[in-house]
Amino acid sequence: MKFILHVTDMKKVININFQGQVIAIEEDAYEVLKLYIDSLKVYFSREEDGDEIVNDIECRIAELFGNRLKHGIPCITVEDVESIIASIGRPRDFDADYEEVSRETSRDQGEGRSTRGESREGTKGEEPRKLYRNSSDKIIGGVCSGLAHFLKVDPVWIRLLFVILFGVFFWVYLVLWIVLKEMPLGSNVTKRFYRNPNDRVLGGVCGGLAAYFKIDSWIPRVLFLLPLILNVMGMFSIFPLNRFFDHVGFNLNINSGILLLYIVLWIIIPEAKTVKQKLEMMGEEEYIQSIRDRVSDNVSGCKSRTEGDASTGLTSDGTSDYTSGPASSHTFAHTPAPAPARSGCLNALILSAKIVLFMFVGLFALVLFSLFAGFLFTGARWMPLKSLFLDPGYESHLLIISFCLLILVPLIAMVTWLIRRVMKAKSRPVIGVVAAVLWMGGLVSVGLLTSRVAHKFSVEYSSEEKAQIAPVSVDKMYVEMLPYGDDYAELMARDLFGCNIGTFRFFDEFDDRTILPYYTANEDSLLFANINLQVRHSYDSLFHVRTIATVRGRTQRSAKTDALQFNYPITQNDSVLFLPEFFSVPVEQGFRNQSITVEIAVPAGKTIEVSDALDEYKSENSPGVPRKRMRR
Amino acid sequence: MNIENTQSQMRKGVLEYCILSIIRRNEAYPGDIIDEMKGAGLQMLEGTLYPLLNRLKNGGFLSYRWVESTSGPPRKYFRLTEKGERFYVLLQATWNELVSGVETLTAGK
Repeated sequence: MKFILHVTDMKKVININFQGQVIAIEEDAYEVLKLYIDSLKVYFSREEDGDEIVNDIECRIAELFGNRLKHGIPCITVEDVESIIASIGRPRDFDADYEEVSRETSRDQGEGRSTRGESREGTKGEEPRKLYRNSSDKIIGGVCSGLAHFLKVDPVWIRLLFVILFGVFFWVYLVLWIVLKEMPLGSNVTKRFYRNPNDRVLGGVCGGLAAYFKIDSWIPRVLFLLPLILNVMGMFSIFPLNRFFDHVGFNLNINSGILLLYIVLWIIIPEAKTVKQKLEMMGEEEYIQSIRDRVSDNVSGCKSRTEGDASTGLTSDGTSDYTSGPASSHTFAHTPAPAPARSGCLNALILSAKIVLFMFVGLFALVLFSLFAGFLFTGARWMPLKSLFLDPGYESHLLIISFCLLILVPLIAMVTWLIRRVMKAKSRPVIGVVAAVLWMGGLVSVGLLTSRVAHKFSVEYSSEEKAQIAPVSVDKMYVEMLPYGDDYAELMARDLFGCNIGTFRFFDEFDDRTILPYYTANEDSLLFANINLQVRHSYDSLFHVRTIATVRGRTQRSAKTDALQFNYPITQNDSVLFLPEFFSVPVEQGFRNQSITVEIAVPAGKTIEVSDALDEYKSENSPGVPRKRMRR
Repeated sequence: MNIENTQSQMRKGVLEYCILSIIRRNEAYPGDIIDEMKGAGLQMLEGTLYPLLNRLKNGGFLSYRWVESTSGPPRKYFRLTEKGERFYVLLQATWNELVSGVETLTAGK
């Protein structure tokens, strides 16, 4: 809004543009009008379309102004404004005349209009003085503000204390933050530190200081700048006192200290946004009382009011010199005060903190995602092997369920969350809870599955079988490997795991021997390469060969049955002993950590030569020392 | 319990009925309504009229149009919607009941 200033003989008259009308109005009258409209805005902010109502009233006021000006008066005076206000009514008159019963009854019950002023102290006393975190006036967690409310002091002092004694109070703050309940608390001090948005150079800190201490704003400014100025003087050595200042130590430390102090104040002091806050900033007791009445019932919507400030064309920098209007002793009922806004400086800090946080979150999500993708991939790779561990039916279903719950649920939840986040949909905690519960279910089912699978390995059983060896004519025995004749890889891919060329390729790439203890399988049997070859001294003059089949199972009986099904035919051709490349078990057995130990006893004076092909089968045990096996 | 409170409670109840009847007769803007009310000796604050009109409008009982004015900003002229008409008829019935009932009661003394 633009206004032109005429200075007439007696009073300042300004021209304002009010609802499209150019109105000549005395400055005092303007202030009264502005306050009145502010109070209306607060009052109607709880009404649906409150702005529209205020706008209608403004139109009406503009019309009444127009009527008056038409009658030939030079400008609108305080009296004019007062009479118009009287005909339209003040918020407190509305309440007496018309009110929405539902919203008001609680406030009015047992408390007549006339007794309101006195009852204020009463309500304050009744209010239980408990320590809360203040949700309506907070910088971080509302702890300081809550403390201040409890102690009935300006939150700024508590905050300052916490900042200065950061090291000590950090933990106190944290503990209080966790322990205390949050509660919107009204302000219970009449004078507060605010940053003054109407008198500011940088953050309004000095302006606020000046308003608080009722001094001119240049005084704190100079105080803040003095060290800097002196330092600059010292730097250029024009000042004879230069040495003195050097001695005292007006150096950059002081400057940065001052700067830090300023920034700290900037952060911890809220900006005075509403009229009420501006007045609290000035701290004129009397004044506040009258204004509280005007700005009464400021339950909510103070924001809309301050925003609306610009649109009415009633912006001005002056609440400071408003002095007219009957200052009644009415005070407003104890309702939560508008939350003082955080400072821009803090917002910037918070923003950067958020950016860092989101970067971390993003990184974390990425890691999580790739982890899941990895699981998915290896899962798919290992999927064909499941029949080795799991019985068809119940266990297979359990596996699929666990897989879905453990991997797909978080993925879907994450995608949903991202989409909702991008769409800016309202957060639905239900989704997260459901996802978490499902995921827990996945964990349970995996646990179940693991225990079932582990159970299959609970008993180990070994069965020993002596191979019949014909006496060897020479002094040396040769041990050779008998390669498996069939094209087992192809068989495996086609027959055990279904006609899936892809699976076949997978396993082709695999180095089965190193990764899997079993080698391959054909249609009705599994082939294992888990063979140990042990050589020891014979107790007599003959070669002895025995095979020990070891298998794990759910019970000893099942393990024994399995062990007896091992097929490992050792053949002999005079001095050459052929060990098959694999031993085979029926495919129904699945993987039960089957192994075969071939023990060759070499009589004294005779030697044995093991083919290089069998190198991998050779036991680490030194030849000649029989390995003791657990027998059950 | 004081007299002012009771009085205002009594007035409150009929306020909407009065306003609707004024608007029903002729399209009216808030200034007219206030004048008519005053003319009829019914005091009401303009500040309470606006929210009331707003609520009636939001409830679908009233509609309005803007009319340019020579003496100030454009005015909102209100008129009854069909829903408002029905609402009015109901209020009227209630009012008549009330009046006759109250009259019977008070005249009996």
